[in-house]
Amino acid sequence: MASSTSVVVIGGGSTGTGIARDLTMRGLDVTLVERGTLTDGTTGRMHGLLHSGGRYAVSDQKSARECIEENRVLRDIASHCVEETGGLFAKLPDDGEDYFEEKLQGCRDCDIPAEVLSGDEARKLEPFLSEDVEKAIYVPDGAVDPFRLCVANAADAQERGARIETHAEVTDLLVEDDEVVGVEVRHESGPGTHTHGTSGTTEELRADYVVNAAGAWTGEIGAMAGLDVEVRPSKGVMTIMNVRQVDTVVNRCRPKGDADIVVPHETTAILGTTDEEVSDPDDYPEEQWEVDLVIDELAKLLPILREARTIRSFWGVRPLYEPPDVASEDPTDITRDFFLLDHAERDGLDGLTTIVGGKFTTYRMMAETVADHVCEKFGVRASCATADVPLPGSDDFDVLRDYMDEFGLRSPIGRRSVQRLGSRADEVLTTDEPNPVVCECEAVTRAELRDAIDDSGSDLNAVRLRTRASMGNCQGGFCCHRMANELAPDYDEPVAREALDDLYQERWKGQRHALWGQQLSQAMLNHALHATTMNRDGDPARTGEAVAFDAFDGGSPDGD
Amino acid sequence: MSDATDDFETIDVFDEEPLGDDFDPVDVFDGEDMDLRPGADSCYKCSTCDSSCPVAEVDEDFPGPKFQGPEQWRLKRKDDVEVDSSVMKCSNCMRCDGACPADVPLSQMHNTARAEYVEENLPPFSREYLRNRILANYGRLAKLGSAFPRLTNALMGSSAVQWLNEKLLGITSEREFPAFAEQTFRSWWDERGGANVQSEDRRIAYFHGDYANHNTPEVAKSLVRVFEHYGYEVAVPEQRCSGTPMFANGMLDDARRAAKFNVETFRELVADGYDVVCSCTSCSMALRQEYPELFSFDGTATVAASTYEALEYLRIHEDVADDLAEADAEYPDLAYHAPCHARNQGLDTQAIELLDGVDGVDVEDVGDSCSGISGTYGWKAENYDTAMQIGAEMFEHMEAVEGDTGLTECPTCAMQMEHGTGYEVQHPLQVVEAALCE
Repeated sequence: MASSTSVVVIGGGSTGTGIARDLTMRGLDVTLVERGTLTDGTTGRMHGLLHSGGRYAVSDQKSARECIEENRVLRDIASHCVEETGGLFAKLPDDGEDYFEEKLQGCRDCDIPAEVLSGDEARKLEPFLSEDVEKAIYVPDGAVDPFRLCVANAADAQERGARIETHAEVTDLLVEDDEVVGVEVRHESGPGTHTHGTSGTTEELRADYVVNAAGAWTGEIGAMAGLDVEVRPSKGVMTIMNVRQVDTVVNRCRPKGDADIVVPHETTAILGTTDEEVSDPDDYPEEQWEVDLVIDELAKLLPILREARTIRSFWGVRPLYEPPDVASEDPTDITRDFFLLDHAERDGLDGLTTIVGGKFTTYRMMAETVADHVCEKFGVRASCATADVPLPGSDDFDVLRDYMDEFGLRSPIGRRSVQRLGSRADEVLTTDEPNPVVCECEAVTRAELRDAIDDSGSDLNAVRLRTRASMGNCQGGFCCHRMANELAPDYDEPVAREALDDLYQERWKGQRHALWGQQLSQAMLNHALHATTMNRDGDPARTGEAVAFDAFDGGSPDGD
Repeated sequence: MSDATDDFETIDVFDEEPLGDDFDPVDVFDGEDMDLRPGADSCYKCSTCDSSCPVAEVDEDFPGPKFQGPEQWRLKRKDDVEVDSSVMKCSNCMRCDGACPADVPLSQMHNTARAEYVEENLPPFSREYLRNRILANYGRLAKLGSAFPRLTNALMGSSAVQWLNEKLLGITSEREFPAFAEQTFRSWWDERGGANVQSEDRRIAYFHGDYANHNTPEVAKSLVRVFEHYGYEVAVPEQRCSGTPMFANGMLDDARRAAKFNVETFRELVADGYDVVCSCTSCSMALRQEYPELFSFDGTATVAASTYEALEYLRIHEDVADDLAEADAEYPDLAYHAPCHARNQGLDTQAIELLDGVDGVDVEDVGDSCSGISGTYGWKAENYDTAMQIGAEMFEHMEAVEGDTGLTECPTCAMQMEHGTGYEVQHPLQVVEAALCE
């Protein structure tokens, strides 16, 4: 495919990376630009639910059908990102019997496998469920790791020739004669993988077509070309528990509302969520009442949550969109459907399409719709193959290995590593070098970190997303510096220090909303280790001040 | 069932026996089904447990209690039963429990993980399983041994049998089996006609365990004489092994049976006004801590709350300190080792505090190291070297103090002390008897 069409995709979330993969597979020449690390926007700030469609089975059956269809696809093509947990819609005495029946019927109408469990059967499955749970509907919900999924999409696109630029913020859309002909980006540290301390550069990326997949930020991108894209960003809180209280997704069986889902996610459980419209997706209040609300409400389903340890909370903004004529008052009423806005048809501006709305579970379908649209414009006839070709890491693999024999790893460490790496496990974990565990909470070894560093440069937050290192209960207190240490010898000391600060700060950010009880103890211990033991707030190596060795006791018995 | 289709697995809830009306959700928490992940909430990774672990100190391949406990549990998922084999290297000394500043239920996690590991990974016909089961159920063998003590002692002491044990079962041939007494404590008790003192309000039920019954009846007799000296009515009910060696070998089913029997017996006595008294600190540990952590039979908590170690009990209820301070005894100088399980119950200083005041008795503490044997642990050929390395500090300190007699509450610590130094080893109750009873 020599003279291929060139496309710039804006946004490194699930939709953007999905579009990049799809277009690249069809032979187009794709450049993806993302202002932060992959998934930095909304994708990295979700609860990780792989919808069965059950949540939409009453209110939005079109979405429900799409969900179950894509759920099946992702179990197949992204098996190393998906955990087949199953899900429950649990009914408490306050939840209407009619709604329970409607939910069940809705699932059946949408071909979502659904079975009714008695309260005791549900508790047998999930022993921490409240005694008050009367019955439940079991559906094939799952848990998905959005980071891993996006990274796999981007890696596959890159493998097939796409250019992926993270830390590359779009500063302008290039418009010539009523046509978007490219974008201007500012590389935070020059093009290629991110290296701290490298000075920024600006680049004009000219392209035959531009896709705006910036999610909650699509409006801001549109505005660069004078377009009005009415995204209605809506914030929601997610609170992360230190351990999994459940291994099954637990939803509350009632019409839409706040705080009605618990998703087991890797080593943790994520509680969600709230739904409040905000005016600026980059600046909105993160309020403690939201955290209190999800814990209090969900403790009705799982009383153990009342006393359980939370390790952090984060907020995400949904890129909700509705055609301007609908004008819903309440953001919960806004459809979760997605919209493809071709600005040539809509605004008379060629060369640009915006994709808004939608949800993570159907990202691939959205990407396919966009890719179809772009290909049609350029007469490309290749059809979509993203539903059939497994992502890198999701080729056939077996987690049941002799971890000690093959990789020299203790059982749970080997198992978690292989689950994260999927079919890439052998390539990454087989090493003749010593391979110590660097992050103990999440069982991440040096080999896996080195692999991630190869991929993401000195950006330790990107390394974190690839490996989960520093995402456990110490929130990096015991491993951030070890991770930074792995940057040597490829990167020098000032780069490692800056990368360490970035990572440690990011870990701290989420913990601010979990500072009571056990996580407060953890934070204080982390603080003592980093500030006192490591002297990170006054290390002469970085302050540049000379150490006054004379001020110390010379050690002679006379004391001089 | 609904129209559940094709590629989705139905859940296993339906594959099991239908749940009757009398389904009791509490059963879910019984034994090996326990989900201890929430226990990891208390851990903030400080590693104090690792630095107090005697096995980790000498075996750099052992990942330590933090890994065995909160880390491993936190990494688990449902149906993820692959507990790492290193849990079998844990000696169950339970020092980590005492070391943890945040009350992480470490030994409970270890015990439960070990039981899962044994169930999943040790085939019941494997040499290791057989050996561990034999060691864990020492009391059953002891019954046989005590029936023909001289023959058994001669046999077990023979190098041919020791060689066979090592080759066939992996029981180290370095150690000599403890000799069976010619008369068990219980047979002495029966012959004696039971209790010599009757009392309505001072009553103890003696949990002697297997070892004092079969191997060191003199300790059990001391307990009876000391408590009768103070006017207690002593009951010696039927009992089984406390379960300590079973927990340590991951034989949780065996432990459950034994514990159930013991709880059922002793809860009746507690209801009749008896307190439960042990002479072995691992026995008292099992009844007080491990039973309530691992089981939920009717009366488990009551029995746990009514159980004491013998000297601890006397310190609470009698003026034993003053009595001993005024007493005298002719006794060789003693090198005292506090067993780890005594330490966990806060009892590691009482023997010194009480006995050092007796005129004619000189007791020296040999430090806070672990003896290394940890019950059946040091009997396994693969652990022998580790056990001796751990014990080295204690041996050295014993050699450094006056005299050549050891003192400790724990029968297996006593074996290790004897094995490492050749000292004869006494129990504190024997010294108390010598000081207080004519």
